[in-house]
Amino acid sequence: MGASPDETAVEPEAETETETNNVLERTAQRAIQDPDTVYRWLTYVGIGFFVTASLFPFYWLFVLALTPNESIAGMGVVPKGFNPGAFLEVFEVVPFHRYMLNSIAIAAFSTVIVLTVGSIAGYVFGRYEFRGRLPLLFLILVISYFPPVAFLIPLFRLFTGEVALFGISSPQLYNTPWSIVMPLSAITMPLIIFLLTTFYRQIPDGLEDAARVEGSTRIGALRRIIVPLSAPGVATAGILTFIIVYNEFFFSYLMVNGTADNWSPVLHGIFAFQGTQQVAYNLMAAASIIGVIPMAVLVMIAQERIVSGLTQGALKE
Amino acid sequence: MGSVNLESVNKRYGDITAVDDIKIDVADGEFLSLVGPSGCGKSTTLEMISGLTTQSDGQIYIDDEDVTALPPKDRNIAMVFQNIALFPHMDVFDNMSYGLRIRGADDDIIDRRVDEAVEILRLDGMLDRMPSELSGGQRQRVAIGRAIVRDPEVFLMDEPLANLDAKLRVHMRTELQRIQRKLDVTAIYVTHDQEEAMTMSDRIAILNDGELQQIDPPLTCYEEPANVFVAGFIGSPSMNFIEGSIDDYRFESPITTIDAVELDEPSAVTLGIRPEDIYPADDPRADRTVGSVRASVDVIEPVGERMFVYLLPDAPGGQSTDGAVALDGDHLLMSVDPDTDIAENEELDVTFDQSSIHLFETATGNALIHGLKREPTPRS
Repeated sequence: MGASPDETAVEPEAETETETNNVLERTAQRAIQDPDTVYRWLTYVGIGFFVTASLFPFYWLFVLALTPNESIAGMGVVPKGFNPGAFLEVFEVVPFHRYMLNSIAIAAFSTVIVLTVGSIAGYVFGRYEFRGRLPLLFLILVISYFPPVAFLIPLFRLFTGEVALFGISSPQLYNTPWSIVMPLSAITMPLIIFLLTTFYRQIPDGLEDAARVEGSTRIGALRRIIVPLSAPGVATAGILTFIIVYNEFFFSYLMVNGTADNWSPVLHGIFAFQGTQQVAYNLMAAASIIGVIPMAVLVMIAQERIVSGLTQGALKE
Repeated sequence: MGSVNLESVNKRYGDITAVDDIKIDVADGEFLSLVGPSGCGKSTTLEMISGLTTQSDGQIYIDDEDVTALPPKDRNIAMVFQNIALFPHMDVFDNMSYGLRIRGADDDIIDRRVDEAVEILRLDGMLDRMPSELSGGQRQRVAIGRAIVRDPEVFLMDEPLANLDAKLRVHMRTELQRIQRKLDVTAIYVTHDQEEAMTMSDRIAILNDGELQQIDPPLTCYEEPANVFVAGFIGSPSMNFIEGSIDDYRFESPITTIDAVELDEPSAVTLGIRPEDIYPADDPRADRTVGSVRASVDVIEPVGERMFVYLLPDAPGGQSTDGAVALDGDHLLMSVDPDTDIAENEELDVTFDQSSIHLFETATGNALIHGLKREPTPRS
């Protein structure tokens, strides 16, 4: 600290203290005087941790994918070799594109179901006052906290036709997309209902009345006024549902037998490289990266939408 | 254009009667205000005329056609809402032309009508703006424009000025009157602001607790209120009421006595007198007055062109002790010229303009007499 004798004279106590103390104390002194610097550095450190924690696994997948499988033991942080062919081999060894299409189809079916039911429920919860509205909302909230594993065994029995009602056994849904779509739709539904409830609530009152006076029917007012205004919220809800279902592991793993013909999703495609004699780690890594691509694209396109859709609802409440 | 007739219209929500057996006839081209305190059923009445709310009982006719069972879109009405309710995702042109487009009107008709509305409402150059880019007054004008482009028979307005600031509200008041005259359209206007109703309307319908209290031209409501409620609601500041009784042509109350009342049935009555009809006893106009109240000046409020004087009448027998008559309802409010020489805590005599005294039956609240016409005959 190059304090001149003049300054020392002006603030004798503070200056002499800084002069005489060690590095640690000088830094502390500076931090106290200019806390913004500290906050800025803390932000960098926090962001650094977060970025490393979330991106390192992805980088590690690249390292594994590029390393030929025979030299994959005892890996460091750089690839041992360069084998981009793994990304093509993935599709030759197993029909990985079929697994991906299965996943996309399952996510799409779920999204349609969740949006249809969720937007009707959200509209009613958001725009009408009726007896039992709050208890019903709480019930939905409570259900959303049930652990999915609790449903597994009953659902498995149901979907494999082992549950009989009035002598008619339940339909065989194991190995169909519905055995994944139905539980996942149900699990995602509460979140989407809450999201859309807050969204519909923000649409000013009286717009439907205005449209009806102007010449619309009830349904017409819904179609011309409420639907366009709620489109951003519904889009957010749809994207979220799609991502949640696409990324889901539990039911996706257990409700199908793992073959592409039986609607098995991406994760089974990745496990398909796990043979009894050998595990093709490089292909699993490559498949994982390819599997992430649809989500990465979706999030990149829609990230602004997702963030604003989520915060809009939250802030306005 | 069209007349509107409500015949014994009721609206009940469970056990609560929001609108009780209302009969109103609105003439073609008339400007009628529905006025009353919040919760009096005025908005519900308007919503039933619009068809947004279905009545529990009764018939509604627009232009002599029974519209009771018709949905809003088939009633040929237009409505301006309190919260304006412009469609946020449409620009001004789309908002204004919404009704015409939905009815499948030709593009050139739409353009012409919107242009006319833009001219009337002075909205030039705004057609491609979004509602969020407009000021409050502009939004309100667009909402009115949306209502008038369809050339409706009846123009319904539900507190359209309530969300505007005070200055703009007064301005839009005259604008609305100008537009209504120009279009010569029947208008039904809901407001809780009696001053708005007084200044704008051909007739005022005053509602309370879902019941129609009086429907008359503004000045009639002011000068000849049908009952205590109307008397207290219309006029600002509101009328003073003095509880008393009639005995032998004489009104008697603890604070004053008035002779020569044309009522002989002994009964409990309420005397109503507006603040501007109370004069100090030494006022030059005091020769046409009756009654005399000895009171002390409690508070003086100068408001510019008038001065409000809150008087505390001395209790009977001059026992004006602290706390005895200090309640708000016991104040008499007098409105005088601002240059009147009155000071706080002064004792003075005030007297009432005899032609402006209203007497109401205390039990029912109904008006008995507006103005004492006979010459006062002082009894010794």
